Parts: sequence; C-alpha cells; structure tokens
Amino acid sequence: MSRQELLSPEGLRVDGRRANELRRISCRASVLSSADGSAYYEQGNTKVLVAVYGPREPRNRSLMQPDRAAINVEFNVAPFSTSERRKRSKGDKRLLEIASFVKQTFEGAIQTSVYPRSQIDLYVHLLQHDGGTLEACINAATLALVDAGISMADYVCACTAGFIDDAPVLDLNFVEESSIECPALTLAVLPRSGRLALLQMESKIHASNVDHVMDLAIEGCKHIHAKLDRAVLAAANDLADKLSQ
Amino acid sequence: MASLVLSPAEQDFIIRGVEKGLRSDGRSNLDRREVTLRTGMISQANGSARCRIGNLGVGTDVLVGVKAEVNTWAPGEPETTGSVICNVECSPSAAQEFEGRGADEINVELTQLLDRIMSGGAQGGDGLDLSSLCIIPKQAYWVLHVDALVLDVRGGITDALVMATRAALMETRLPRVVVETITDDAGATQAEFDVVDDAEDMVALSGVSGLPLAVTFNQIGKRYAVDASEQEEAVTQAKLTVAVSPKMDICAIQKGGMFRGFPPSLLSEILQTAQRIAKEEFVRFGTLYEAAAKTSEQQSDGPSTGSTFLVPF
Repeated sequence: MSRQELLSPEGLRVDGRRANELRRISCRASVLSSADGSAYYEQGNTKVLVAVYGPREPRNRSLMQPDRAAINVEFNVAPFSTSERRKRSKGDKRLLEIASFVKQTFEGAIQTSVYPRSQIDLYVHLLQHDGGTLEACINAATLALVDAGISMADYVCACTAGFIDDAPVLDLNFVEESSIECPALTLAVLPRSGRLALLQMESKIHASNVDHVMDLAIEGCKHIHAKLDRAVLAAANDLADKLSQ
Repeated sequence: MASLVLSPAEQDFIIRGVEKGLRSDGRSNLDRREVTLRTGMISQANGSARCRIGNLGVGTDVLVGVKAEVNTWAPGEPETTGSVICNVECSPSAAQEFEGRGADEINVELTQLLDRIMSGGAQGGDGLDLSSLCIIPKQAYWVLHVDALVLDVRGGITDALVMATRAALMETRLPRVVVETITDDAGATQAEFDVVDDAEDMVALSGVSGLPLAVTFNQIGKRYAVDASEQEEAVTQAKLTVAVSPKMDICAIQKGGMFRGFPPSLLSEILQTAQRIAKEEFVRFGTLYEAAAKTSEQQSDGPSTGSTFLVPF
C-alpha cells in the first residue's frame, strides 16, 4: 500500500475530514416489507442492511431458554461489497466473530426476560465495505430492533476511533483502519446511562492515550444517537401518515 | 422454499379457483404481478439491479450485482471467450430455514438454473457475446461475476432472478481496454493490454438485448397458473420454468420437483403460452428498464445503494 499521509499537516484526513468529524450518516427504518423490523444504515461508504424477526418460535429447541429470549445473529457479506469481488464462506471466522460481538452487545440491551422461550433473529447484510463494519452493524441493528418493536433498555450506539500522529481521530474508514499506524477502537454505548456495551481494540496504543480516544468515541456515539432517534421519529411519522389517509 | 402451512379448505379453494381461472388476488391464470425495477444502485459494482415481483409493495425481492475482473488464461480454458459466473445467495430474511447452511441446497439449484438460462441463448449466436469479453486470446479475458442476493421470497423466485440479472447485465459497463502489439528485438510479437481508468469511458456489454426472460408455470389442479404467489406455490403439483429469448427461441426449460409429474399434452400448450407471455414481458421489461435508467441518471451524486433503500422501493 502506498505510504500516504493519514493526517495532513493542515489537519485533513484522506477523505477530507477533520480529526473529530464523523462520516455522513443516512439511515432509514422499515425498508423490507416482510421482516418484523428492518433498517438500512449508511456511514460514509459502509452500507448495512439489517432484518429483524421476532420474537418467534425458536427453530432449534436446544437454544430455547425458559426465562428469556435467545438472540441469534447471522452476518453476511455480499460478494460485491469490496472493491475486489470476494465470496466468504459461511463459516468464515471473521464473520462469525462479528456476529458474536453483535449478539453479545444486544444481549445486554434487549430486555430478553420479557420474551421467554422465544428467539429473536437479526440478519445483517453488509452491502458495501469501507471501514467501521462492526459499528455500522450495531447502529443498523439498533434501528431495526426499534422498528420491530422489541423491548430495549436503551439505544445502542457504536463508533470507532483511532489515534494518528498524536491526535485522536473519529470514525475510521477502510484506509485508516487497515493502516498499521493507526490503532482502531470500537466502542458501543447505551446513551442514556452512559454504560459501555462493547469495547474492542485490535492494535497497540499508549496507555495514556486510551482515555482520549474513548472520550472521542463516546462523543461520536452521542451524535449517532441523535441521528438514529430522528430516523425512528421519521418512520413513526410515516406510519402515522399512512394510517390517517 | 418457505414452508407455508395451508389448511385443506384453503388448498381446495385455491385449486378450484385456478381450475375456473380465478385467483385469490383477483388475477386470471395468465396475469402476472407488478414489477418494480431499479438499476445502478451499487456504486462499486460494474452493474447492478434490484427487482421486486409482487403487488402492493410486498413480493419476491432480488438484488443483483455484477463485478468484472480480468483473468489470466490457463491452458484448458476456452481461448477466445470470456466467461460469466453466476452465484445466488438466499438470505435468511427470506425464510427462517435459510439460516446457517439451510440455504445451501436452494442456492446451488438457483445458481445452476441461472447459469443455464443466461448461457442458453449464447450458442445460437443470441444472448451475451462471450467472445467480446476476450481481451487477448490465450492471454487475458474478462470474467463477469453475477452475484444475486435474494432478500425476500413470495413465489416466483426464478422469474425475479432472471429479470434482475438481465437488468444488471444491461446496465453493466466495463472499462475500456487498449490492446497493443509489441514487437521485441527478436521479432516476436507480444500483445499487451491496458485498462483505461476513466469513469466516463466505459463500454456496455454486447449481446445483452438477446438475453432471455423466464416465465414460470405452476400446475395447480387440472390447470396451470403463471407467476404463482406463495400460497399458490404451496399447492403446486409441478412447476415448469421456461426461458424465452427476444427472438422467441426457447433458451431453457426446467421442471421443478414436487409431488407429481406433468402430463406431456400440457407441455406444448405451455411452450406456446410461454412465448406469448414472454413477448408481453419483454415489452414491460423494456419500459421498466428505461424508467429505471432515467431515475438513476437523475440522481445528483451518482449511483448509490442508498437510492434504493433510503426511498420507498
């Protein structure tokens, strides 16, 4: 990969953003007619489609729990999602890992005790990949779950942040994420209580910088929370319009 | 496919209705449902299309992306043609049994069927011109990867797949390739190619207007119905998919499983009806495709996946 500056002397990153700027976010709930809840979420060029089914009869009796709902997440990457076409097998470890993270994150947020003996399915499709996969999946899943009317304690908002040249940077794209110079931290928070639902970092960072990076990520999550809230409101207004016609 | 449980009374109702030419949603036996088509929404693919067959915004929903790659020729491969590789993936959002490995069987079946239908016309000189995909014989050629993602199944999956694939291939643009012949000192000539990296300078595929469309006939009771809904498919005894090219040639025929066979006397009637229906379908497809192309041209910031998901489809 060519050695390009991730952060120019003027403070601009490869895509023209400043260090603390989020990528442009567009999202919409209720995009698939047959799913109980669905959402389409775009953060920059990373695009995710989530369908939620549930609570419904568990397909696998062994997964059924007597006092709570079982959450099942399946993560699919479309072969046309990356610039080079690549088809991942269903057992790909990276895909399973991301699915597992999403599941654990939402087990803490969904009030599963309200739906005993049932199963909630989240099917996540990555349609275009440009960094921040896990954060986009979590944000899209939150929107889809709210659309499905599943009882949750709070929104779950996720954001990535990194550290380039002594400056914490917000919302990494693919180039920044795959660069060795930039550690990538993914963080999911429940905005009202401020509690962390997910914290993951893959590379090396100096201990004194971790706090700054985390604070920046939490700031990003607050903005994303506002966006998701607006999307939920828009979907509700849409529905109200349809009902009043 | 999605297992729908119908009561014996419901099944009887559908069967008798079709025998009299009446269907539950008011269509006649040969009427097809509404089709919504959008193209060019996946920016990083060479071509893409999304197709939904169904009334009132609910139906079989397929998203197709076409990506082109340059492959180096290996001995044993055809020397003067490129190739098209199809791949169909059914999402678990279409049916719960498609979770995990549950969709493997149907993915393979649909992939093979799509492959056969798309290449069926090619031999007679119709259909996609594979020799135009060859860059340098015995050296390099284009491979088109057609990836279909089935988001929802409400009956008539094959028809939707073929329609979306046809639209995606019609919309596909390849970068232009410049081929130079270089003569070295020893006098031997070698051809080299260079892919022009200009977004404005793209080439459409040749022969796409010859691609077929599929019509699926479902035998229900003693009669048959075209473009069956989910409930009708649950009562179907035998399913026959016929792919017809614009020149009214039959490109592929596939009889799908189920419980009983097909009386051969019905077959010739079905083939003729297929040609008649296909003619109407090509006209409808043409109108829809032009409308879709116009919509995607009007987008201010170029093709975007959001364009089909952020607005009602």
